[in-house]
Amino acid sequence: MECLKNKTIQEYIDKSLNRYEQSIIRDHLIVCEKCRAKYEQFKKMEKLLINPVYKEPPAKIEKFVMNRLFSKIPTYSSIFALITLSFILLVSWIYIYFDFNNNSIIQAFKLTSNSAFNWITSIITFISNIFSSVYAIFKVLNKLFMIIFNVNIGTQLFVLIILSIFISTLFFVSRIVYKKLKEHN
Amino acid sequence: MKTFSSKNRKIVLDDDKILIEKILKGEKRSFEEIMRKYNKRIFNFTMRMVRNEQVAIELTQDFFIKIFTKLQKYNFEYKFSTWAYRICYNLVIDYIRKNQTYVDSLDDDRSYKKYAYMNKNSIKEDGADAFEREEVKSYLWKTVNLLPVKYKELILLRYIQELKYDEISEVTSLPIGTVKNRIFKAKDLLRKEIEKDGMLEK
Repeated sequence: MECLKNKTIQEYIDKSLNRYEQSIIRDHLIVCEKCRAKYEQFKKMEKLLINPVYKEPPAKIEKFVMNRLFSKIPTYSSIFALITLSFILLVSWIYIYFDFNNNSIIQAFKLTSNSAFNWITSIITFISNIFSSVYAIFKVLNKLFMIIFNVNIGTQLFVLIILSIFISTLFFVSRIVYKKLKEHN
Repeated sequence: MKTFSSKNRKIVLDDDKILIEKILKGEKRSFEEIMRKYNKRIFNFTMRMVRNEQVAIELTQDFFIKIFTKLQKYNFEYKFSTWAYRICYNLVIDYIRKNQTYVDSLDDDRSYKKYAYMNKNSIKEDGADAFEREEVKSYLWKTVNLLPVKYKELILLRYIQELKYDEISEVTSLPIGTVKNRIFKAKDLLRKEIEKDGMLEK
């Protein structure tokens, strides 16, 4: 029998040959010294490959993933959005409360404005438009509230109650966030 | 669970699948366990593929996040590890395709030649057998890093991820014959490289 091909030796080591072929090669390896030496080499390399050199992964991988997936800490963008939203609501509440549109200073300003101050007037009208629309939303909400609970508490008081609830929850949330951030660091 | 009412295939519940069921129910400890189990192999696979520790760390993190978000789509009929390695493999291959900045070759890597020279000398100096074996092993695995990607990925899937030939063919979408041939070719390259220094004869 002629000598074995490299591939056949590899297949013999992988045990991917059938029983008959396996036995033929085994017999040949007993007889042929050259092939046996080759086989030993192949086997040695297989052994080296089977136990690879592992590098320990850094612990920060697990930490990072767990934090990303399960952390209750809101991201910075969401905190920022919350602050902006509360600020807008607070300002709108102040203006609604003090009746921005009917304020005598604003009224006077609108009436006396000339072309030089036209841009100021346009800004003021813009702001007052936004505020009146916010006011209208609150009015609608109040109407809904009235229909559901059958009490009329007036739009301004309604706005006050909603905003105070909102701000207090914001306060608690921010405290929790602060605590979590502290733990995190 | 709905996924277990499939009529066509028998579903074998192994440890991984039990853990995944728990994760889907919202147990976060189970995901930690999955991570601990696969972390080492995934990290070493990506590390050897991209040859940059920082990138490997980021890819491993991406991998686990991806696994978690895709878990709803996992089909219990298949082995979890194969599914996971497929995702990992695609992630790494995508990265390499986008950032092909280095050439993987056994022939033209100077630092490698230098390393080989140094290694050869250090082996001659020390005669202790166990130590020698470790040296040869680390030398061999350094050489694996320098194989062309198409060989390297298969060697890594076979020996780092410890997959069978059919699983490798599932992960890489290559026919099983190609997988076997390439692994054989890769080993041939490795053997030749090591035989140059007569390391296997000892």
